[in-house]
Amino acid sequence: MAEIAGVFAVSHTPVMTNLPEAPGAEVSGFIYEQFRRIGAEIEALSPDALLLISDDHLHNFFLGNMPAFCIGLADSYEGPVEGWLKVERRRMPGARPLAAHILQHCFDAGFDPSFSLDLTLDHGMVTPLELSGLAGKIPAAPLLVNCVQPPLPRMNRCIALGQAIGDAIRSFGELGRVAVLATGGISHDVGTPRMGFVNTEFDHEFLRLLQDGAPEPLAAFSEAQVDTAGNGAEEIRNWLVAHGITGCSPFDLYHYAPVSEWYTGIALGKWTAA
Amino acid sequence: MLENWLQAIPTGEAYQINRILYDVQHNRAEEARYFADPKAYIAAFDGLSEAAVRALEVTDVARLYLLGANPYLLRAYCLQLRVPEPDYLAQLRAAGREIEHG
Repeated sequence: MAEIAGVFAVSHTPVMTNLPEAPGAEVSGFIYEQFRRIGAEIEALSPDALLLISDDHLHNFFLGNMPAFCIGLADSYEGPVEGWLKVERRRMPGARPLAAHILQHCFDAGFDPSFSLDLTLDHGMVTPLELSGLAGKIPAAPLLVNCVQPPLPRMNRCIALGQAIGDAIRSFGELGRVAVLATGGISHDVGTPRMGFVNTEFDHEFLRLLQDGAPEPLAAFSEAQVDTAGNGAEEIRNWLVAHGITGCSPFDLYHYAPVSEWYTGIALGKWTAA
Repeated sequence: MLENWLQAIPTGEAYQINRILYDVQHNRAEEARYFADPKAYIAAFDGLSEAAVRALEVTDVARLYLLGANPYLLRAYCLQLRVPEPDYLAQLRAAGREIEHG
């Protein structure tokens, strides 16, 4: 059966690669260092596959058909979809057998995610992969969570889905080691009147609850307070899915910085157990 | 307090606005048609309200946001149209004041 070798989370924003110097070299340099640290830690785990958890920023999906959750089943993925993103477009190997197993297990466990064999990855996955030095190195299974167009899945539902996915990975017989990388959030706004504002109070409390681990207060706080932290903060759902995958073990925060020049709070870290 | 979303469920009008924003960003043929003559492109689009047509014609960021343009699509659309960042942010702030003060 497969082992969940490590579960990590990082913030993402396209301006990390498009405006690298905006927050000043010291701030951005330390953040880039943390990305490389996480990339090196994931590589050191020698995973056979990488489960990526992020959201589609209305490229693959639109209001014509908007899934709450979607699992990618393709043999490979191209990205980034955004022509304006300063990241080289490349094709990355997919982890189809793992993704297919997770999909089937989710249905058996009472969840109904959609699936796609035709996804193009956007900055949400591509930018962290690029900054961590992992792009194209590990076959990836993408899970997309709707964080960008209401109605959005409930926070506690995301944790529960993560728990089912954790069970799915642990019951997968074809691979030895699976790493997980969730991306997005934390406090930020994209295209709203508050764009540029970072709610550090929200970020600190969210991260504290994540470090504590208990799912109920974490989900309750997230649901009740996300409106104070910006529409981009809705991406904490990706973190909550990862949290569920670990069985809600405590999170080890590597770094947090509110970076208004990048329009977002930035956090990176790893769950202490999976 | 400003909330993350103006519409809990998108309206039909929001759908039509977002359809334009999405198509111009993702479909090369639509993009070419749009940039050849934006006014004609908008005028030919079925289902838009008069307010939406006016807002799209002059890229009134605040009005588009208030009419239900998805913030992510609107952001990318403004980048594509090269709306200067200070103008874009100022228009969003103005929309915020309108929401808070009615």
